[in-house]
Amino acid sequence: MFEAFTDVVPSFFGWLNQGPLTLTLFLHTVIILPMIAIYYQEKKRLAEEN
Amino acid sequence: MNKESTVANKSVWSDNRFWQRSATWVTGFASLLLIWLTFDSMGQIAMGNDADIQNGVTKRVPGPTVINRKITYEMSAARGHEIPVIGAKEMFFGRDDYSEEEAGALLHLGKLGQQAKNCMACHTLLGNGAYYAPDLTKAWLDPAWGPNGPLQAMTGKETKEEAMAEFLQHPNLYPTHARMMPDLGITAEEAKGLVAFLKHMSSIDTNGFPRNFGRMQGAVHGK
Amino acid sequence: MASSHLTGIGSESKQLATWYFTFAAIIFGAQLLFGLVAAIQFVMPGFLYGILDFSIARILHVNALVVWMVFAMFGSVYWLLPDETGIETIGIKIGKLLFWVFAAAIVVVVLVYLLVQVGPASDTTIWFITEGREYIEAPRWADYGIVVVVLGFVANLFFTGMKGQQTGIVTVLMADMIAFAGLYLAGMFFTDSISMDQYWWWWVIHLWVEATWEVFVGAIAAYGLITMIGAHRKVVEMWLWIEVAMLFGSGILGLGHHYFWIGTPEYWWEIGALFSALEPLPLVAMFVHVLYDWGKETGLQMAEGYEGHAIDGHTVTNKPAFTWFVMNAFGNFLGAGVWGFFHTLPQVNLYTHGTQFTAAHGHLAFFGAYATILIGMFYLAIQGTNGIKILRHTKLSIWSTSLIALGMLGMTAALTIAGYVQVIVSRAQLGATWAGYFDGQSGPWFTQAMDWRLIMGVVVFTGFILLVIDLLTTGKKSVHKI
Repeated sequence: MFEAFTDVVPSFFGWLNQGPLTLTLFLHTVIILPMIAIYYQEKKRLAEEN
Repeated sequence: MNKESTVANKSVWSDNRFWQRSATWVTGFASLLLIWLTFDSMGQIAMGNDADIQNGVTKRVPGPTVINRKITYEMSAARGHEIPVIGAKEMFFGRDDYSEEEAGALLHLGKLGQQAKNCMACHTLLGNGAYYAPDLTKAWLDPAWGPNGPLQAMTGKETKEEAMAEFLQHPNLYPTHARMMPDLGITAEEAKGLVAFLKHMSSIDTNGFPRNFGRMQGAVHGK
Repeated sequence: MASSHLTGIGSESKQLATWYFTFAAIIFGAQLLFGLVAAIQFVMPGFLYGILDFSIARILHVNALVVWMVFAMFGSVYWLLPDETGIETIGIKIGKLLFWVFAAAIVVVVLVYLLVQVGPASDTTIWFITEGREYIEAPRWADYGIVVVVLGFVANLFFTGMKGQQTGIVTVLMADMIAFAGLYLAGMFFTDSISMDQYWWWWVIHLWVEATWEVFVGAIAAYGLITMIGAHRKVVEMWLWIEVAMLFGSGILGLGHHYFWIGTPEYWWEIGALFSALEPLPLVAMFVHVLYDWGKETGLQMAEGYEGHAIDGHTVTNKPAFTWFVMNAFGNFLGAGVWGFFHTLPQVNLYTHGTQFTAAHGHLAFFGAYATILIGMFYLAIQGTNGIKILRHTKLSIWSTSLIALGMLGMTAALTIAGYVQVIVSRAQLGATWAGYFDGQSGPWFTQAMDWRLIMGVVVFTGFILLVIDLLTTGKKSVHKI
């Protein structure tokens, strides 16, 4: 299921890089998730301010 | 008129604070990831040493004593592209026993020389620089400097490194093209350092750049 | 009201801005002249051989580029600070002194480049003549001088922003300029390893032009929209935060697209490709933003009863500046975004790396993303210092804008063709050897591309001359509404 690591020097990030689409979906999810939390916090703050 | 007071339920999507906080988070995360990757990459591109070469430990950037060795550029089935291969001992300016200090000093001199003479303002190194003159990443392996190429004969030298050093000291005497390399006042010692720098650079693992180096003849994949 | 921001008289900060802009325009001219020398050398290889070789002409061309843009960026900040913060810039007298220090250092560095050119392979050369690293060839002594000047600039910005009104635009600039300044330090060291050297070199260059400089453009564009068409601050600042998120979100890790082939691990292929492929998106946003706000403000101001910004039916209070700002919106997207995207994927880049294709992208990107908006700022300064309510186009401004834009597009087309030829012939067919390189350079497509590039360069230079004449004369012309 996981691709073998073939680059010169072993590294965790090299292993994490399983494939371009897998990597990009993973990283972008990590970036978007906290924005969801920020969204709900700001929504609450705006509702309280009004 | 204050537009905001007339809006009963302002959307978060048009709220500046939401976007300001998002921008801060995205920038922070990207920066931290870049820093993490940098630490990882620093470890991976740290220059190796003589022990690595002796023990066959592959480093992306070999140590300076690689100048004692034959270097080739071979296809790797596992990696899917060409990689530099460090081979048996080979003479370099008449010696194959440069110590780490001696080889390191030559490389240091060559790197200083490469900067002091603005090489990258005409050539490219690892593909970066200016495009007025050839890329030098694999210049050490270029057929033109080899035994079957024209440049050893042109400079009247019997080895590749001596031919290169002679050329560097008097490039205006050895025109290879209408676009001539100027005389930059390179001394014999500096030339030796520069050739060591070029030989070392050709041993760096560049993930297969340039592709098919020296393997193509015309439009046919030749040997 | 935006129009009350335009008075340049009496503000020392704005006066300093005009000094920075003037020096920038002169260096811009030098950049073009040395570019012409280099372009001629591609066509006539013996031109000035041994006197002003290609390497020196090129160094002067790219260093002048960076210097004029940095000077114009500083000028832009000094210009907008009083408008944004509502106060005179703090420490402005030191700022003025540092300008002279900066300018003097540049003159010395340039003279050494021209007259000394190279040195022996020693630390002395690195410290006093040239560091030999693209764009940042300035010797180490000058690096330290630049650090001092930039610290002064950042201090001016920070103290003024903290004491006066700290608008969104000022907040973004404060953070951005700290990063911009700090990144320069990454280039101030020597290493024996060419891989290590290039790894850190790209921290300066990429995180400048594909991150901090783009964010700077976003901030200036926001200021320009408020000033020139009366766009609402809350709207432009919202766009600005979105742009910052997208620019840094793509640009910081997009740095990886320079780590495909320099000895760094293979995972940079994916990281660099995926994030840098997204770099055009914020440029689309900036493009849409400028044009949309222009249309919207025009519509709003045409409607009756709106406490509009329009003066006698003119939505735009500075036509030449706004033209350059709109050209920035197009040019940024086209030069940096589209041309950049063409060669950002490693499968393509393997063949285009180190060819004229890179030069094609570089020329259109630097012009479209930075030169355009900075020239726009020159026009804002002309308007402000002359107290003009509506600055209109003159024949000169229309001709200069057109010649420069068409010349740059022509140069880019020529360089793209030259790069394409190199990829096919030198790389794909002939395997990137010495012989392959020269074979690629000698075919008719390549040589004719170099001819056309030179012709288009002359067109740009002609446009530049007209631009300078316009900048010097338009302020006193009666065609404008005083």
